[in-house]
Amino acid sequence: MALQELLQLEKHASFGLKSVDDVELSEEIEELNSEKLTQLPITPFTMNKNVQLRDSNTGRHIHINMEKGTTTLAFKYQGGVVIAVDSRATGGDFIFSGSVKKIIEINKYLLGTMAGGAADCSYWHRSLTVRCRMYELRNKERISVAAASKLLANILYNYKGMGLSMGTMIIGWDKRGPGLYYVDDSGSRYSGDLFSAGSGSPFAFGVVDTHWKYDMTDEEAYELGRRAVYQATYRDAASGGIVRVYGMKPTGWVKISEQDCKVLHYKYADEKMV
Amino acid sequence: MSSALLPPFPEPGFSFENVERNVSLVKKGFKPPKFTSTGTTVAAAIFDGGIIIGTDKRASAGTIVANKNTNKIHKISNNIAFGGAGTAADCDQMEKMVRAHVELHRLNSGKQVPVCVALTKITQHLFRYQGHIQCALIVGGVDKFGYHLHHVYPHGSSSEVLFEAMGSGSLAAISHLELNYKQNMNLDEAKLLIRNAILAGVENDLASGNGIDLCIITPSGMEHLVDYEIPVAFV
Amino acid sequence: MSIESYNGGAVMAMAGKECLAVVCDKRLGARLTTIGMNHSKIYEINPYLYVCLPGLATDALTVYQRLRFRVNMYELKESRKISPQVLCSMLSNLLYEHRFGNYFIGGVVAGLDPATGKTYLYAMDCLGAITIGTEGFVTGGHCEEQLYGTCEALYRPDLGPEELLEVASQAFLSACDRDAGSGWGAFVYIVTKNKVELKSLKARMD
Repeated sequence: MALQELLQLEKHASFGLKSVDDVELSEEIEELNSEKLTQLPITPFTMNKNVQLRDSNTGRHIHINMEKGTTTLAFKYQGGVVIAVDSRATGGDFIFSGSVKKIIEINKYLLGTMAGGAADCSYWHRSLTVRCRMYELRNKERISVAAASKLLANILYNYKGMGLSMGTMIIGWDKRGPGLYYVDDSGSRYSGDLFSAGSGSPFAFGVVDTHWKYDMTDEEAYELGRRAVYQATYRDAASGGIVRVYGMKPTGWVKISEQDCKVLHYKYADEKMV
Repeated sequence: MSSALLPPFPEPGFSFENVERNVSLVKKGFKPPKFTSTGTTVAAAIFDGGIIIGTDKRASAGTIVANKNTNKIHKISNNIAFGGAGTAADCDQMEKMVRAHVELHRLNSGKQVPVCVALTKITQHLFRYQGHIQCALIVGGVDKFGYHLHHVYPHGSSSEVLFEAMGSGSLAAISHLELNYKQNMNLDEAKLLIRNAILAGVENDLASGNGIDLCIITPSGMEHLVDYEIPVAFV
Repeated sequence: MSIESYNGGAVMAMAGKECLAVVCDKRLGARLTTIGMNHSKIYEINPYLYVCLPGLATDALTVYQRLRFRVNMYELKESRKISPQVLCSMLSNLLYEHRFGNYFIGGVVAGLDPATGKTYLYAMDCLGAITIGTEGFVTGGHCEEQLYGTCEALYRPDLGPEELLEVASQAFLSACDRDAGSGWGAFVYIVTKNKVELKSLKARMD
């Protein structure tokens, strides 16, 4: 890590502190976390990132594999951003719920999508909501999409390798116009025109890549998002339930539709017959 | 004599054609399959007039109850039976094989078949497969030499006993037998003893339950009491 | 993940009064991806006798072909139709022959005696341990647990063919709706003494 050496940073350095392996430091961190509730929390224990949990009987590594059984999709077009998601929650092959809300409304101008661990996503988006509101109160202006997504990416980078599972899109509208960022548990953050996350994403990409045009009307764009997620629920066993479509406009997000896959399937099937 | 149109008849006995494939699948990270297990409490004792064997009626596959009405008392002949615990398929097939063997022996000799014939067949078969045939049995019977009760472990070891419990519920059952077994019990005492031992297993083991079967073997014949009792609170 | 659930799929058979319903879903998957939506798991031995082989599709086809061979040889040798009991033993023995290196399938045998109207239901695990369907239904495949639940809740004895279709379909579809690996429609055979009907059920396609 050449850059790390150049900056004379410790390996586990975070938030200007020396090293989280320090005992005194861990007490300090505990204090910081309990006092400064509006700051990014630091892991309250010293954790070697290479330590893995082991089964007490067999001694084998316990592999916590959070299912990414989801389809989430967001893309830009001339009128703003379309966000479309499914609503199925699975544990293994069992369907826990068919009506989960995978679009998280952070505020009037910001949305997040959920893929990966449901608890991880909903907790960190909730935490992001608080931070965005605090920013607004302090600075008397709304947070930009770039800044909001970076707040989340920084948190995820700090917890990197510790087992968080998230693949999320942050969508919003700010001074610079429509914003769309992809942030995931590895700490990476990308800006772009089209993202899809979850096990159904290859199918959704297929549809959007084929039919996407910048000049689409609002209705065309919403229908494309809806159709892409529906096709993903059709082919992917871990996606399904309700297809929710949101739009991001200069005036904030709008809920466009929430339709059952079953209704959509037989509607599209009828259209094919005509 | 075989061709594509007339494939060869399968050889009798086990086929090992899928073994390598299945081993490589497990190596690739696929979980090995769950077999239906008897998940049993089986208890047996010698009493004044013969042999009594009792079992519960549940078969389980992992955490689900695969069968609520399982027969775990396997009748070999009019004077021999065994109670089986372990993999359900192994116990069932063991019964088929030994029953055929004993019946052929009876037809050849024209006499009642002694218990040791069935026992030897079972232990030799189990030993041949080195514990891979997963059944733990209590073999009981009455013949001209007297009353016999043997336990048999999956590797093929066996020994003669006065009373015994086997299966996942055996810990609770055996402690009941150890405490309450007496020599020279009459039939009613023996029924109560075995019933209570199975009940102890049913109460303490999640893989046992759904009722009690009894089998009583005396010199005058075999009596199979299916659903001797269905414990209300512990089904 | 278990190799038995690689392709997904579920089956069920339910007995009514002198009638029988045999149900399977239509999905053929490769892990999470659905690659076929018209895949029957029910094999007809004769119009009164059906065998369902849920589990790994490749093994199901192999086992069915081997079973068919044995059934044909039996019927040629004995000059009579095979009975449900014999078919059940035959399948059980075929599976147990592969005790070491087993096939990754379950088995459900469902038959109706056209003379008496008596129904025969059997289920077995991948080693051939037979469960007799004394409760009036047998299940197998990926969402076995859910099927046990729905069948136990909805089943009533002595149903007529129309009611049986209704109850069996409802139980089956409800179970599949809680399982990611099964669904995409269902086939139902309704077998009565003088008629066999094959119905195709519409279901959720997600």
